[in-house]
Amino acid sequence: MASRALAVWQNRKVVGLLVRRDLKVKYQQSILGYAWSLLEPLAMASIYFFVFGVLFVPGEGSARSAPGGPDAPGGYALFLLSGLLPWLWMSGALTDACKALITHAKLITTMKVPREIFPLAIVQTKFVEYLLTWPILLVFVFVLGGQTGWSLLWLPLAIVLQFAITLGFTLLLSCINVLMRDVERVIRILTRVLMYSSPILYPLSMVLNSGLPDWFKLVYELNPLVGIFQLHHAVWYPSEAPGTLSLCTTIGGAFLMLLIGYLTFRRLESAVLKEL
Amino acid sequence: MAQPVIEAKGLGVKFAMNRRRKRSIREMFIHGTKRDPNKAASDFWALRNVSFEVAKGDCVGIVGKNGTGKSTLLKMIAGVLLPDEGTVTVRGKVAPLLELRAGFNDQLTGRENVHLVGSLHGMTPKMLEDRFEEIVDFAEIKPGFIDTPVRHYSSGMKVRLGFALISQLEHPIMLVDEVLAVGDKSFREKCYKAIEKMLENERTMVLVSHNEGDLKRFCNRGLYVKQGDLVLDSDITEALNAYNVDTKAEIAARKKKDGGKAA
Repeated sequence: MASRALAVWQNRKVVGLLVRRDLKVKYQQSILGYAWSLLEPLAMASIYFFVFGVLFVPGEGSARSAPGGPDAPGGYALFLLSGLLPWLWMSGALTDACKALITHAKLITTMKVPREIFPLAIVQTKFVEYLLTWPILLVFVFVLGGQTGWSLLWLPLAIVLQFAITLGFTLLLSCINVLMRDVERVIRILTRVLMYSSPILYPLSMVLNSGLPDWFKLVYELNPLVGIFQLHHAVWYPSEAPGTLSLCTTIGGAFLMLLIGYLTFRRLESAVLKEL
Repeated sequence: MAQPVIEAKGLGVKFAMNRRRKRSIREMFIHGTKRDPNKAASDFWALRNVSFEVAKGDCVGIVGKNGTGKSTLLKMIAGVLLPDEGTVTVRGKVAPLLELRAGFNDQLTGRENVHLVGSLHGMTPKMLEDRFEEIVDFAEIKPGFIDTPVRHYSSGMKVRLGFALISQLEHPIMLVDEVLAVGDKSFREKCYKAIEKMLENERTMVLVSHNEGDLKRFCNRGLYVKQGDLVLDSDITEALNAYNVDTKAEIAARKKKDGGKAA
C-alpha cells in the first residue's frame, strides 16, 4: 500500500497536468469561462434561498433557520453558501467519478501510470473549482457581516476530511462503474439523498429538536457528512461546532470510506483493465 | 552478465468468455442460478505459460495469427494489463507505441496536446520546448494547424503527430504494435528511418507486426505465439518460417475443405 501511495506521489505532476487540462477544456469551450464557476453556485444558492429562506419561513422561534436566530451575523444566506459551496465540490466529484476511468480508457490502456491518479485528478479538479468559488463566499461575508475567529481553524479539518471521503467515494465509484454501468444512474439519486440528509440547507438543530425518534437522530448523526458540513458551518457559526462523538464518527467515517474505496479499487483493478 | 531488460515468467491472462450480459437483479433473486445467462461462460486463457527474456539492445518481433494474444502480451509488458498468472519485470522506462492517438484531447490544440501527452510520458518542459519544432516538422503539420483543436485534424495528422511525439522519447524500451501500418508511403519510410535511428543507441524494441518485411528489417529475434502459447523463441527468420509453415498448412486445409464441399 505504501509503495502505491509513493507511486501516486511520484506522479503528482501528472495529476496536476490532468487537473489543469480539465479546467482548461472546461473554460475554453464557454464564452463566460471562469464566470461560470461563480454563476453556477450563485444561481443554485439563489434558488435554495428563495425556497427555504423566503417561501418557507417558519413561524417564531426558528425564523430563517440560521443558527443564532434571524439577527445572527450572516443570516441564512451565509449559512446556505457556507454549506452549499463545499457540497458542490463533493457532488461534482461524485458525478464525474463514474466517468473517471471510462473517459481516460485510451490513456489507461497505453500508458503505465498508477490508475489511482485519475480519480484523484477528479477530486482535485473539483477542489480547485471549489477554491475558485471562495470569492463569492467572501463577498457575502463582507456584505452580510459574517464573523469568524479561532473557528476558522475548523476549515482545514473540514477540507481534509471532505477530501478523504470524496476520494474514497470516487475511487469506489470509478472502478465499479466500469463493470456495472448502473452505478452512474444510482449516483444521480444518491447525491440528492446525501444532500438532503446532511445539514446543508437546514441547520442540524432542526433535526435534533424535531419530534423524530431518538434512534433516527442517532443514525442521522452517524453520517460522516453531517460532521463535515457542520465543520464548514462552524467556521462562521461557532455554535455549530460538532461534539466529540460527532467529530470521532466523522473522522473515522471519512478515513474508513477512503480505505474501502482504495481496497475496492485495488481488487477490481485487473478486471477493470480488461474491460476497458 | 547484465540483467535482462524484460523478463516474463509464466505469464498468463484470462478473459471471461460467453458473458453475454449482466444478470438483472430480478433474475438473481427470483430465479437463483436457474436462468443464469452466463452459465456457459468459461474462462478463456488468452495467454498461458509464456516465459522469455529480452536482453538490452535486442529487437524482438512477435508473430502469430490474429487473436492469438500478441497485443495482449505487449500490453502486459507495457504494464497496462495485469497478468492473472506469473510476473513480468521490466527494467527501464517504456515508450509505448501502442495506440498513437492516445491521450490527445479533442478539445485542445495540437500544441497543447503535444505538451500534455509529452509530459504524461515523462518529458520535461525544456525537452518539449527544444524539440517542438522537430516534432511538428516530422509530423508534417502545416504551420497554421498546430494551434487548431485536434478534433479538426484528419486521422492521418493525429497519428503522425502521435508518432512524432513518441519517437522523441528517450526511454530505453520501445513497444510497437503494428503502428507502422499507418500513413502513406513517404511517411512510413520516415518512420522506419526514425525507428532505425532509435535502435542504433542500444535500445530494446518489441514489435508486433504481420509485415514480414518490417520484421526482417528490424528484428534479430522472433517469438512465435500460437493460440496463447509461446511455441518458438528463436531468431526472426526461423519464427517466421514456422509461422509460414503453419499458415500454409491452414490454407491447404481450408482448400481441401472447400474442395470437399464443392465435390
